Amino acid sequence: MSDVKQQVTLTINGQPVTAEIEPRLLLVHFIREVANLTGTHIGCDTTSCGACAVLVNGVPAKSCTMFAVQADGAEIRTVEGLEQGGVLHPVQEGFFQEHGLQCGFCTPGMMMTAVAFLEQHPNPTDGEIRQAISGNLCRCTGYVNIVKSIQYAAGKMREQQAAPAMATASTEATR
Amino acid sequence: MALHFEGTQQIKAPQEKVWQFVLDPNKVAECAPGFKSMEILADDHFKPTLAVGIGAVKATFTFDVQLEDVQPQTHAAMRGRGNAAGSAVDLKAAMDLKPVSESETTMDWTADVNVSGTIASVGARLLEGTARKLTAQFFDCFRQKLEAPEEARISEVQTPETPGT
Amino acid sequence: MTTPAQTLGGMGHSVKRKEDPRFLRGKGRYIDDIKLPGMIYMDIVRSPYAHAMITKIDASKALALPGVLAVITGKDLDAAGLAWMPTLMSDKQMVLPVDRVVYQAQEVAAVIATERYIAADAIQLVEVEYDPLPPVVDPFKALQPDSPLVRTDREQKTNHIWHWEAGDAAQTDAAFASAEVVVKEDLYIPRIHVCSIETCGCVASFDKVEGKLTIYMTTQAPHAIRTVYSLVTGIPENKIRVVSPDIGGGFGGKVPVYPGYVIASVASIQTGLPVKWIEDRSENIQADSFARDYHITAELAADKDGTMKALRVKTLADHGAFDAAANPSKFPAGLFSVVTGSYNLQAAHVEVDGVYTNKPSGGVAYRCSFRVTEAVHTIERMVDVLAQKLQVDPADLRMKNFIQPESFPYKSPTGWEYDSGNYPAALQKAMAKIGYADLRREQAEKRARGELMGIGISTFTEIVGAGPSHTFDILGIKMFDSCEIRVHPTGSAIVRIGVQTQGQGHETTFAQIVAEELGLPVENITVEHGDTDTAPYGLGTYASRSTPTAGAATAVAARKIREKGKNIAAHLLEANPDDIEWSDYKFQVKGAPGRSVTMKDIAFAAYTNFPQGMEGGLEAVDYYDPPNLTFPFGAYICVVDIDRGTGAVKIRRFLAVDDCGNIINPMIVEGQIHGGLTMGMAPALLEAITYDENGNMQQGTMMEYLLPTAMETPVWETDKTVTPSPHHPLGAKGVGESATVGAPPAIANAVVDALAHVGVTHIDIPMTPWKVYQLLEEHGLAEV
Repeated sequence: MSDVKQQVTLTINGQPVTAEIEPRLLLVHFIREVANLTGTHIGCDTTSCGACAVLVNGVPAKSCTMFAVQADGAEIRTVEGLEQGGVLHPVQEGFFQEHGLQCGFCTPGMMMTAVAFLEQHPNPTDGEIRQAISGNLCRCTGYVNIVKSIQYAAGKMREQQAAPAMATASTEATR
Repeated sequence: MALHFEGTQQIKAPQEKVWQFVLDPNKVAECAPGFKSMEILADDHFKPTLAVGIGAVKATFTFDVQLEDVQPQTHAAMRGRGNAAGSAVDLKAAMDLKPVSESETTMDWTADVNVSGTIASVGARLLEGTARKLTAQFFDCFRQKLEAPEEARISEVQTPETPGT
Repeated sequence: MTTPAQTLGGMGHSVKRKEDPRFLRGKGRYIDDIKLPGMIYMDIVRSPYAHAMITKIDASKALALPGVLAVITGKDLDAAGLAWMPTLMSDKQMVLPVDRVVYQAQEVAAVIATERYIAADAIQLVEVEYDPLPPVVDPFKALQPDSPLVRTDREQKTNHIWHWEAGDAAQTDAAFASAEVVVKEDLYIPRIHVCSIETCGCVASFDKVEGKLTIYMTTQAPHAIRTVYSLVTGIPENKIRVVSPDIGGGFGGKVPVYPGYVIASVASIQTGLPVKWIEDRSENIQADSFARDYHITAELAADKDGTMKALRVKTLADHGAFDAAANPSKFPAGLFSVVTGSYNLQAAHVEVDGVYTNKPSGGVAYRCSFRVTEAVHTIERMVDVLAQKLQVDPADLRMKNFIQPESFPYKSPTGWEYDSGNYPAALQKAMAKIGYADLRREQAEKRARGELMGIGISTFTEIVGAGPSHTFDILGIKMFDSCEIRVHPTGSAIVRIGVQTQGQGHETTFAQIVAEELGLPVENITVEHGDTDTAPYGLGTYASRSTPTAGAATAVAARKIREKGKNIAAHLLEANPDDIEWSDYKFQVKGAPGRSVTMKDIAFAAYTNFPQGMEGGLEAVDYYDPPNLTFPFGAYICVVDIDRGTGAVKIRRFLAVDDCGNIINPMIVEGQIHGGLTMGMAPALLEAITYDENGNMQQGTMMEYLLPTAMETPVWETDKTVTPSPHHPLGAKGVGESATVGAPPAIANAVVDALAHVGVTHIDIPMTPWKVYQLLEEHGLAEV
């Protein structure tokens, strides 16, 4: 129960969002309620499920276990920022092509984890993918198609890296 | 979770002194783990507030404690209930004093602790170990305080909280 | 070159999902995404005790907190006659207690506040005083005369809820008496919790001007909820609108009416403001509907040559404090009597007794097809127990006893008429694909070296599609389902159905049915559901019923449109309607295929050029009363290796051969199997909800209750056979729960098989490393 508010500015998907908030406001609530981006979801209260995963300065973080004040000045990427210029990110494309989602609730967190992972590991084995997403729970898919989706994305991102001249407005691969 | 503990302390202090200590709520409160404050309603009825933690769950419990079955010099029992948001603790403890000599007393104690709610659910695996430790610390603290020389009592340091508790 | 069929995306095509575009972009509309102007928040005070009298509730400190608008207690609801509500099994359940709590984490009071965090603060300030009572958590003890009584509100002062039987006791006894071999086992299938990644919640919004209550709710059955709401509150049904938004997983956990929904509705009616209630994960696990908790004793009688004769099953069903399992009303033990499985038994007798304990209520909330998980686990384990006793291969014993393909439709000893099946073909396919003979050879070699490898089989028959009106109802509402199709002039269509997806892809699969039946491209067909103001009345999605019921309704409605279309075609082609046939997705004049019109032509004509005397427009509704259930089946083979140093069970391979009749979308079916297998592995190896003697749940969060991650989950292998349903308009059966039903016994049978050589005959699930390690120690197999 705190009445001392603090002003923070978070850059979310390239857009600065400034607000006066309670220090105890969770980052996930800042994203969902202050910035009105409801693609990031809450699935548990013990940092166990990963539905809230976003990228904080490029690193996957469970936004339910961070305070928004801790992200003051940080660059946040959420699922809403994946599509660029009307073109889906290869990870989104992979999940679509390989049926990597069913109810869709774990999907944003799963994809953000995958995005960060593939940016560091462009040519992963299935086992490495499974380890990378072991902090993201899914109840619907049984993970088989999620791994395929991420492999699809990896392939697409390697392609885009190899031929940057052919890249469209989606500049994700050239990071 | 229903827990039962018992133990014996050999206290190098006369029975009378131990008895006076045990009946003094302020003295006893000094030994209570996570002690924050206390309301004294009567000689035999107190409401201590204790901050207790088990693993990831910490809660501030307001206890309602009633002394009962007081047999001067030899026996006392206590019944208490503590509530915190979502958790509850019911406890019964009893203590018997027996003189060993003019300057040494044996204290036999038993405690029955019933824990309900969040602390029991979330901390279940850690509960018994932590409760046993806290209970033992409580009674051991009596002994330490009773055996400390009078003058040194003032500068006595509380048993620090073990990291990770 | 793509065929017309491929372009249309009808039956049998792996069309990419139409719901994905919004989910992939984070634009799904789940319950917590809904924000209405003026919306306020609700949080719930819950009991730490499993059984206690409430002596005092002091809300003064909570009410003093700025932003807190109200605190609602049982006494407040009681004044409006709402402290109790009916359950789906005609029991009643407390919304908020007036003076007694009966399970830990039970709702005790609700706080309404302007902000979510303030509501969370305020629940900590509500002071509740309890007088604890001894709880009863052991269902066997609950039946003893000296047990604490869970339900003082009931006339009969007993914890025994009901007794239910199926089959023929006398015939069964006779078969047992003359049998040469009898095997018997006690099986406990523990309580588990479905833990969909989205918890439950609602936004209740009462419009004081219109007198209309709109409630957005995570519900798998919006119409049934609307009717129950109307009966309980007295608000007429046309003034209640239930809307299921996008749902993040249901699996049965989002069928019951939770007290939170009702309290939020009351709060909205009182304040005239929208009230949002979203439960935490710990609230979800600790208070919401569970599944399983069956204590089973099973006996299987056979002859020495392996011919199975009869089955006897006695079960104690632990239902928690209220009977709120969402079963069809005549089936308090669900479809458990399908326990005779895929085998041609002469006789069977099944008894189930339901009992109250001081635990949350429920029973079928974990993808179980109305207790078919329990039934299949029982029979598949017993078949292996018998195989072990007779020293025969479990595959051979199954093949010997299968109901043969020519016996269908097959009447089982407990009264079910199986529509179609070919069990030998499925098992043979599975055995060939996984290399069963080679695996047995490998096992023998490994066993000689002291390595523990096991092979487990499960050949299950599922029973889905509740159900025919003569037998199936929920609270009296018959379990038909519905579809309404309206075709627009320019050839696209809108389809509304009475079922409710929670990830199964209905927006795609139901569009595919219409694409197939009407020859319109699937991308031009919109599927809507979940809004009781617009969707036709249906009983919702659970127990794998959607394709069998609403899928049939969709086909029938489409065929009604085709029937009208035929008459318009006759008009357009200047032919006799009897000379028009539907072929190759067109209306053609018989014998003159060049003279044809498409449904697109028909659609336009239905509004611009229809025959005199005919009604314009092009739409149809069907409420489908299925003549029978459908019986999907499968053959699963599981290979495990057990680590002698840790007791850990590793699934090396798992092959699932499923038969769900004609398939609408193979990609979606395969996804359902993958997910179902994972939710079958979880109870087999990882999950169980247990209570201590005080009624404390010992797995209150996801830290203790472990869901499988991508690391534990193997690479599932799938295949299929296709044995259509003879009575379903599309020849299709349900499939959503098959894998959750079939997988656990395959895994259990594999683990027992790995240890059979030292005399282990049965292990209860979950087969955690500790449990297995203790068994290894007992049998001198543990490595230190």
